[in-house]
Amino acid sequence: MSETKNLSPVERIKTKSDGLRGSLKESLDEPITGALYDDDQTLIKFHGLYQQDDRDRREERSLKKLEWLYSYMVRLRLPGGFLLPKQWEGLHEISNQYSTGVIKVTTRQTVQLHGIIKSHIKPSLQQFDLLKLDAIAACGDVNRNVICSAHPKQSALHETIFAYADKISTLALPKTNAYYEIWLDKEKIGSSETEKDPLYQDRYLPRKFKIAIAIPPNNDSDIFANDIGLIAIIKDNQLKGFNIAAGGGLSSTHGNSNTYARLATMLGFVATEEQLLKAVYEIITIQRDYGNRGDRKLARLKYTIDTMGVDAFKKELAIRCGFELAEAAPYEFTERKDYYGWHQNHEGKWYYTLFIENGRITDTETTALKTACYEVAKTGKANYRFTCNQNLILADILPENKAIIEAILVQYGVITHTNDASAIRKNSMACVAFNTCPLALAEAQRYLPTLIGKIEPILTKYELLSEEITIRMTGCPNGCGRSPLAEIGLIGTAYGYYNLHIGGDRNGERLNKEYKQHLNETQILEALDHLFSNYAKARNPAETFGNFVTRLNLV
Amino acid sequence: MQLEKSSRLKELVHTCSKEELIWINGYINGLLYETPTSVSKVSILYGTETGNSKSLALNFSTEAKKKGLRVKLIGLDQYKLQDLYKETHAFIIISTHGEGDPPDAAKAFMNFLGQDNLSLPQLQYSVLALGDTAYPLFCKAGEDVDALLEKAGAKRMSATVKCDVDYEQSANDWFTKIMDSMQPATQAEAATTPVVASAKSHERKYYNGIIHTNINLNDIGSTKKTFHIEIGTEETVDYLCGDSLALKPVNEYSIVQKIIELTGADANKTISLPKATGSIKDLLSNNLNILYLSNSTIKKYAAIVQKDIPPTRVDLLDLLQQFPVNNSTQFEEILGILLPMAPRLYSIASSPAAHEQEIHLTVALDTFETETGEQTGNCSRYLGELAVKKSIQFYIHKNNAFKLPPANAAMIMIGPGTGIAPFRAFLAERDYTGASGKNWLFMGERNFSSDFLYQTEIQQYQKTNMLHKISLAFSRDQSAKIYVQHRMLEQAVELFKWIEQGAYLYIAGAKHTMSVDVEQVLLQIIQEQSKITNEEAILYLQKMKQEKRYQKDVY
Ligand code: HEM
Ligand SMILES: Cc1cc2nc3c(=O)[nH]c(=O)nc-3n(C[C@H](O)[C@H](O)[C@H](O)COP(=O)(O)O)c2cc1C
Ligand code: SF4
Repeated sequence: MSETKNLSPVERIKTKSDGLRGSLKESLDEPITGALYDDDQTLIKFHGLYQQDDRDRREERSLKKLEWLYSYMVRLRLPGGFLLPKQWEGLHEISNQYSTGVIKVTTRQTVQLHGIIKSHIKPSLQQFDLLKLDAIAACGDVNRNVICSAHPKQSALHETIFAYADKISTLALPKTNAYYEIWLDKEKIGSSETEKDPLYQDRYLPRKFKIAIAIPPNNDSDIFANDIGLIAIIKDNQLKGFNIAAGGGLSSTHGNSNTYARLATMLGFVATEEQLLKAVYEIITIQRDYGNRGDRKLARLKYTIDTMGVDAFKKELAIRCGFELAEAAPYEFTERKDYYGWHQNHEGKWYYTLFIENGRITDTETTALKTACYEVAKTGKANYRFTCNQNLILADILPENKAIIEAILVQYGVITHTNDASAIRKNSMACVAFNTCPLALAEAQRYLPTLIGKIEPILTKYELLSEEITIRMTGCPNGCGRSPLAEIGLIGTAYGYYNLHIGGDRNGERLNKEYKQHLNETQILEALDHLFSNYAKARNPAETFGNFVTRLNLV
Repeated sequence: MQLEKSSRLKELVHTCSKEELIWINGYINGLLYETPTSVSKVSILYGTETGNSKSLALNFSTEAKKKGLRVKLIGLDQYKLQDLYKETHAFIIISTHGEGDPPDAAKAFMNFLGQDNLSLPQLQYSVLALGDTAYPLFCKAGEDVDALLEKAGAKRMSATVKCDVDYEQSANDWFTKIMDSMQPATQAEAATTPVVASAKSHERKYYNGIIHTNINLNDIGSTKKTFHIEIGTEETVDYLCGDSLALKPVNEYSIVQKIIELTGADANKTISLPKATGSIKDLLSNNLNILYLSNSTIKKYAAIVQKDIPPTRVDLLDLLQQFPVNNSTQFEEILGILLPMAPRLYSIASSPAAHEQEIHLTVALDTFETETGEQTGNCSRYLGELAVKKSIQFYIHKNNAFKLPPANAAMIMIGPGTGIAPFRAFLAERDYTGASGKNWLFMGERNFSSDFLYQTEIQQYQKTNMLHKISLAFSRDQSAKIYVQHRMLEQAVELFKWIEQGAYLYIAGAKHTMSVDVEQVLLQIIQEQSKITNEEAILYLQKMKQEKRYQKDVY
């Protein structure tokens, strides 16, 4: 543990929170403000909630002597990202009743609702509870939603592998019952005795913790961006075990050279479920014990591993596990994407992957996406599965029901919407940023669609429109939209300005690098025009844009 | 400085730790400014993004008050920039965000400071800069404020202190040092606005005011409009908290214009009426009531034009259009039957001590249904439309039956809607003068998010322990309507305890039905809590009235 100063204030909040209870009950009852008490704002993250305010309204409300317009985002815990039709119906209704109405699919296979005011948090969570859904540990310094390759086309073993997402999620769930008491009005059941949490103790982790599972050849879950990345090793249609990588994380801070994006390091291979769960568990305990609790900017597992050294880390892991990891098994990723449109799996069931720009499910003039999903849910004939790229799969549709679903999708313009989007648009991703993310320096999801509209003509000019180039934008360097892992990454520096990063590979195995700093829209378009023109002229056959600019040493 | 001395100093400084240097710095400063200057009033201004600067400012304000200073505590987002010319001692706490930027809330302030010709020779100041050494532009915003103030000729009282994320200690040291350099002025020095005995002559004193601010306090989505109007005056206005301001509205120019066109009257012809003499245009604009005419006026009109006119209250313009006058002579006759424009009274929302040279009003746009549709009150519409810099004439209507209690007495204020106005004055005055009595405010409106009048000020009073209890009733945030009297019933035990212990109770706002309902509930509480009959409760309240412990300002 390095030059850790004192403990960061968040550490104190966690340990004295009485199992994440804090003064949340009093905070919720305080009528004079729509915000929570300071410490409780930290604690609600562990309950899957995030206090936000509408940044667009700040200035005017201050003049009106009104406090900021506070509201809450709730993020569900959905290991593997799965909902039944009844659950979707409920989600739809809750979103209409209490939130902005937009259902936001995140990059981690779950959904968020925004704009819930303080007095509506409890009713929302209680309605979710009736649907057997919760938000426990969806945010905060704990293990988050475990994600897994979404598309069953990937393998017949899909169900088996999905089950691991659930097992790991359960393994790393905090033991406190605070969620049930505070939000669901259950009697105080927990005591510090019954709630003893051998994994998290009373300190939880130094920082958020993320786990992802990929099924080669698709790296749609971007495992190298995670604290723990698991690669399912399949041979002869048999699941042989998992490769384990650790220490990924994308965020950095402008101007702070101690922070950096990092890909997960391959540690080795495990063959059994027992060993897999043990290794995952102990990686978390090492992070719990060795992670930096003084500086939250340096607290992710990636810094812990780099501070210890990879070898020392492996050694510690072997001691804690009581076994050593085997040599990593060979694997190959060749893609990192969603398969839009209709697909049939090995059992004959049908799947339709919808394109959802930046994960925002809402009705627009041309496409009634939200209504369509609701109508599908009401038939009860399709399940809902979220992808790691903010899209939605209508899943497990029996052959005899396909036509019914298709008719609904056609009626509300969903099929045209999915078919008509350009390749670059379908491979785009943006984080939330304005108006609710407090850390945003620049726009992202509200702006990227417009920017792509201006990039498409340039691609057309160089006959590149069908290229599946990945482009991702984030409003700050935290990288929630995984911008460091795109062929083109745009990272906000100030309102209207972005750093342009290029040179990531298409499969998420190489980070991009900064190409130009602090560009406005015109400058971004100029820079891309120049790059695309070269790419069209001088590329090798089938060479991706990211590989091309890397080969030419442009970054 | 002699070379030898300076090298000795350098040597000494070299061996010192940071803490020691800070101490030496303070020591030398102490030598230089040995005798504390006597100060009556200080301003603590904060610019915050995530709340740290604000929470420090709140603490400092409480401390300074304990020391006997009069304190103006305000966020830079609400600070009236022109006030800088009046400040004598300002302490600015400001954080840095983005890439060396000031918080959003402080941008307007920064721009103001950045003006070329800004001159603030009367101002003494000190800056506390919050930041994070992990950023390259550490505490840049604070440095900028300091540099700009210096450039404007203000005098630095003590050096800017820059704080890292663990800011508490250095911040407290900064403030302690400032406090040590000052002592509260004695009463004589403090010379607040003298409380001039009310004008002896019976002649009404008219004042000229200039609109400084006019904002609608209700946010988007509200069903109401409530204007907060700040009126500046050259002369010191003789008034006390609890008094009202009286003014006459000016009729809308476009209507006057239409009337003159329609009747062919000579706008500039001077006419003498029993109560006023002036040009036709002036009389119509300033002296006569031309809207929503009374039935008796309509009857007289009918007699003059010799028509049958139904007794429906309408505007003069409507009458002239439907039942035209024969000629301008007949029109002049009509002028004679119009009632004079009556002055309207508004409870003053400012304190003569705390809001120097300004009078504030809280004016709800009055809307009412008439047989011809929805109408707005003439005067509230006129006030709402008054632009900044416009001038108005007014006089003070003394209200000796609504006055602050002794400084150490507890006070219960019940003021839903614009009933908050006099209580804003009471609280400001008590805060400014450091009155020790406890304060309990009941207020209500329609919706929490859009209609919480003066929310940020009230929050500040609560945080600085000025407001000991606050009971809020937002009638339309839930299906059942909740009003202040419901909150009173919920708090019956405590409320009665306050009353028994000698609290003064005030009601302000709508006479019907609010004040009637509130009084009923009050009687009910007195009756139930002291187990007496209704008649006895009425006597109890009467006794309170005689002791001036029950006062009303209702309209
Ligand atoms: C709007 C409110 C949000 C805030 C304030 C926020 C905050 C942050 C912060 C501070 C980091 C950096 C953490 C670190 O130190 O490594 C981060 C990273 C990240 N967040 Fe968010 N986030 C928000 C929304 C989201 C959403 C909607 C998603 C999608 C599920 C998301 C997914 C991620 C990912 C993928 C990363 C980067 C990869 C990594 O380092 O793990 N975030 N976020
Ligand atoms: C997005 C962001 C950017 C920041 N940039 C800077 C910076 O450029 N320089 C600096 O000294 N501090 C910077 N800080 C640190 C803040 O100034 C520090 O956290 C401070 O305590 C916040 O005070 P406040 O809560 O009053 O806004 C930054 C903080 C955030 C969240
Ligand atoms: S990347 Fe930055 S701006 Fe975007 S959501 Fe994450 S923290 Fe907010």
